[in-house]
Amino acid sequence: MRRRHEVPVYRPDIYSPQAILDPYPHYAKLRELGPVVWLPRRKVYALPRYAECKAVLLDDKTFVSGDGVALNPVTNRLSRGTTLNSDGEDHAARRARVANRLTPRALRAMTDVVERQAAEIVDTALERCTVDGVEVAAALPMSVVPDLVGWPEEGREHLLRWGAATFDVLGPLNGQAIQAIPDGLGMMRFAHTVAKRRKVLPGSMGDDLLRAADAGELAHAECPALMIDYLAPSLDTTLSAIASALHLFATHPGQWQLLKDDPGLIPNAVNEVVRFESPLRAFSRKVARDTEIAGTALPAGARALVLYASANRDALKWDDPDTFDIRRNAAHQLGFGHGTHGCAGQGLARLETQAMLRALVARVDRIEPAGPPEWARNNIIHRLGRLPIELIPA
Amino acid sequence: MKISADYDRCEGHGLCAEQAPAIFELDDDAELVHHFDGSDIPPEQLAAARAAVTACPVAALRELP
Ligand code: HEM
Ligand code: SF4
Repeated sequence: MRRRHEVPVYRPDIYSPQAILDPYPHYAKLRELGPVVWLPRRKVYALPRYAECKAVLLDDKTFVSGDGVALNPVTNRLSRGTTLNSDGEDHAARRARVANRLTPRALRAMTDVVERQAAEIVDTALERCTVDGVEVAAALPMSVVPDLVGWPEEGREHLLRWGAATFDVLGPLNGQAIQAIPDGLGMMRFAHTVAKRRKVLPGSMGDDLLRAADAGELAHAECPALMIDYLAPSLDTTLSAIASALHLFATHPGQWQLLKDDPGLIPNAVNEVVRFESPLRAFSRKVARDTEIAGTALPAGARALVLYASANRDALKWDDPDTFDIRRNAAHQLGFGHGTHGCAGQGLARLETQAMLRALVARVDRIEPAGPPEWARNNIIHRLGRLPIELIPA
Repeated sequence: MKISADYDRCEGHGLCAEQAPAIFELDDDAELVHHFDGSDIPPEQLAAARAAVTACPVAALRELP
C-alpha cells in the first residue's frame, strides 16, 4: 500500500484566484497523477477520478460529513446542525424534513407555475436585444425558491450575495473565504431573526419547520440552520446550471439545433450541462478510520476532497469527456453528488433548468454570443458572472 | 441477478425509470414501482438494470447476487 510520501503530490493551489476561474486544466493534471493526490497547500487527499469519488460518496461510514465538508475548521464548526454536515440518524432525520417538500412528488404541484414563470422570463428577455444571460438565469430561481422556503420579502435582495458567501466559506480559508465571512454571517443572523420573529410566509417550508418545532418534533434552535439548508444551496447552483446551459448552447449551435429538433432531449441535456460545467466543484469528507483508496493508505482524521467537477471529466469514465454532447447518456454524472448526501434539491434544480430550456426552445430560434463571458470567483461554485448573449426570436 | 429497492430512501427522482423503463416505473403519485422486486432480472435487461442502479442519485437501489 502507498503511504503519504509515496502518494503523488500536486503543489499548485487549485483554490488560487486564477485556478478557480479556470479549474479544468488543474483537474486534468490531477487525474493524470493518479487516483489519490496529496495537495500540500490544503493538506487534503484529492480524488480527481470518477470511480474513487463515487466509492467515497457511497461509503458514508468511513468518509463522514459530520465534522464538516468544508476545507477549513472554522466553517466546519459553524455549519453544525445542517443536513450537509451530519451523519447517520441525525442526517436521516434532517434530510427527511428538508427533502419531503423537495421530492419530485411534492414538486409536481409546482410544475405549471414554474413553467409559466419560465415562459414570462424568456418573453421579457426577448423584448431586449442583447441580455446578460446571468440575469436571465437568476430570474427563475429567485422567483421560485424564496417563496417555497417562505423567506420574507424583506432581505431578498441580499440572498444571492449571502448564498454565494455561504459557499465561499466552505472552501479553504483563503482571501476569497475571508472576504465572504461577513456576508456568510449575515445570512445566519437573518435566518435567526426570521425564525425568532416567525416572519416566514404561511404554508411554506419554513412555516412547516416552525410548526414542527412547536409540536416538539425538533428544537426551535435547529430551525435557522435548516432554513439555510433550503436557501443557501438553492440559488447560485441552479443559476449556474441555467447560465451554463445558455452559454453552452450559444457556443454549440449544432447542439442547440438538436435540442430544437427533439425537445425530448431536455432532461438529459440538463444532466450533460451539470456534467460539463459542474456548478459545485468539490466538498470534502473526514476519514473516520484508517482505510485505503485505490491502494493508497488514508489515516483516520485525514481529509479527502471529492472533486465532482473533475470526476465528470474523467476519460476513464466518459468518452471524449471534454466534448459537450447532449446525446451522451449523462445520467451517471456526479454533479449533484451521490448516495446518502446526494443533492436533496436536484428535483427542483432539474425542474427549473428544464423549464427554462423548454421555454427557450419554444420561443427562441438561436442564442448568439454577444461578447466575452466572465466567470465569477467563488471557492465552491463554478458559475458565470456575466454572459452577454443575443436571443433571436423564433 | 436481483435488485432490491429501499422504498424509504427513494425520493422519486425517476432516473432509474429513464435507464430501465421495463423494470422501474413511477406511478401517478410518483411512487416507485419495481416490476422485478424479489425476482430475477431478465438477461436482456441486465445492462439497463445495472445502469439504473448506478444512476439512482440517492443509492436506493442495490444489486443482489
Ligand atoms: C444545479 C443545481 C444544484 C447542484 C449542482 C447541487 C449540487 C449538490 C451537491 C454536489 C450536493 C452533495 C453534497 C455532498 O456530497 O456533501 C448537494 C447537496 C444538497 N443540496 Fe444541492 N445542488 C443543486 C441545487 C439544489 C437546490 C435547488 C436545493 C434546495 C432547494 C439543494 C439542496 C441541497 C441540500 C439540502 C443538500 C444536502 C443533502 C444532504 O447532505 O443530505 N440543492 N447539492
Ligand atoms: S432513481 Fe432512485 S430515487 Fe429515483 S425513483 Fe429510482 S429508486 Fe427512487
